[in-house]
Amino acid sequence: MRRGAILALDGVDFALEPGSLTALVGPNGAGKSTLLQAIEGQLSPVAGSIRLDGQPLSPALARQRLALMPQRSAIAWHFPITVRELVALGRLAATRPGCCDVEAALQRVGLGELAGRRLDQLSGGQQQRALLARTLVQPARVLLLDEPCAAIDPPSRTQLLGVMGQLRDAGFTLLVSSHDWGRDLDSYDRVLVLDRRLLADGTPAQVRRSLGDLHVGNHCCG
Amino acid sequence: MTDLWWLLPLVLALLIGALCPLTGTLLLVQRRLFQANLISHAVLPGLALAIALRLDPGLGGVLSGVAGALLAERLSRAEGPGEGGDEAVLNTVLAGFLGLGVLLIPLLHIRVDLEAVLFGDLLAAGPVDLLRSLLALAALALLLALRYRQLVYLGVDPTGAASAGLSVRRLRLLLTLVTAFTVVSAMTAVGVVLVIALMGAPALLALGGASSLRQALLRAALVGLALSAGGFLLAIQPAVNLPPGPLIGVLCMGLLPLAALRRG
Repeated sequence: MRRGAILALDGVDFALEPGSLTALVGPNGAGKSTLLQAIEGQLSPVAGSIRLDGQPLSPALARQRLALMPQRSAIAWHFPITVRELVALGRLAATRPGCCDVEAALQRVGLGELAGRRLDQLSGGQQQRALLARTLVQPARVLLLDEPCAAIDPPSRTQLLGVMGQLRDAGFTLLVSSHDWGRDLDSYDRVLVLDRRLLADGTPAQVRRSLGDLHVGNHCCG
Repeated sequence: MTDLWWLLPLVLALLIGALCPLTGTLLLVQRRLFQANLISHAVLPGLALAIALRLDPGLGGVLSGVAGALLAERLSRAEGPGEGGDEAVLNTVLAGFLGLGVLLIPLLHIRVDLEAVLFGDLLAAGPVDLLRSLLALAALALLLALRYRQLVYLGVDPTGAASAGLSVRRLRLLLTLVTAFTVVSAMTAVGVVLVIALMGAPALLALGGASSLRQALLRAALVGLALSAGGFLLAIQPAVNLPPGPLIGVLCMGLLPLAALRRG
């Protein structure tokens, strides 16, 4: 993968199991967002391919089968919009029904009672769950979450990780990026460590063993 | 009939009073209010050319305004984000188009009342101005009726809107067109320079606490109506006797502390 003249990713090769919760961990600039955007079809690799159920992933196929929850910085949080209206946007361009309707998606992430509230009146963690709910109304079984736990407090992080675990149990495949890691890493089935190339791939325990003690405190998600 | 000389200017002031804040609110939530400023300055070359060619000046103004906006967008995209390069491009295109318009007036040997173009002359408004405003309002209503949710998506999450398959460039072009219509139709009432205040201030006040874009649009239109009607009626009082356009601009500025309090 290239971003301008820079080789952003090289030699990244992995397959995601259906119904799994995978962390994509690496420092800032490691290429995590680039990788998620490539999987979602926004960027094209200069070499290699991305496949979904054996088919080459086109932007049209990606729209039907994948949903990306963007980083916080991509969202205009002060836009005059209610939580319900934000979640409903996920249906706007969808050609097939998602796993849930808007109300069910809100219930699933624990925001049913806040549906009528303006988006900027929610806490950071609630805002992230609202964005996650938007991916659930899209016709996608693969969810790509870009730094969902960044800049939210530990209780909100735990709650969000709980929702992600429930979605995995319901059969969704989740790939979750984070630049930070620690105890929460154990919430994942698998961890991919990325720094422009794949440094490690395995269960949290295997990755810790293979890379040594890379704990950087508890302020982490993935 | 002579006693009703104020009726047409008042109706036009009310129309512009609703139209400018509606368009301004759409631009503000898309973080593109600069575009109204750019277009308002970029209408002049088209206006001058249209007058020289004996065409409708409004049409020339719209085409020229859109051309300026597209050129600025193209050049600022090439410049890339960061370090203020895109801002420099936008301001240079704005000044360049304005300069070109000023140069075309003597070159084409035409007469244009620049003061009226820049600051408006509401009391000289005619039925053509009214028709122009009605057309601009119809274009805006059509955009909102057909593309409201797309505009919401684009405003709250432009990257998500693009990856969901929405045609972001087409939506922005439509918004640019409506902005150009709005600016040109407001020319007579408040002038192309003062139109910015009527687009920005009511929108800023309306956005504070609005729970939806629809609600913000409605509130902005009501504030704009009040400002325009108030400014016009105050300006024509014998004791005041001031040009309505600049007075409306000053009243808009008076709204800013209120908007800051509301948002604060």
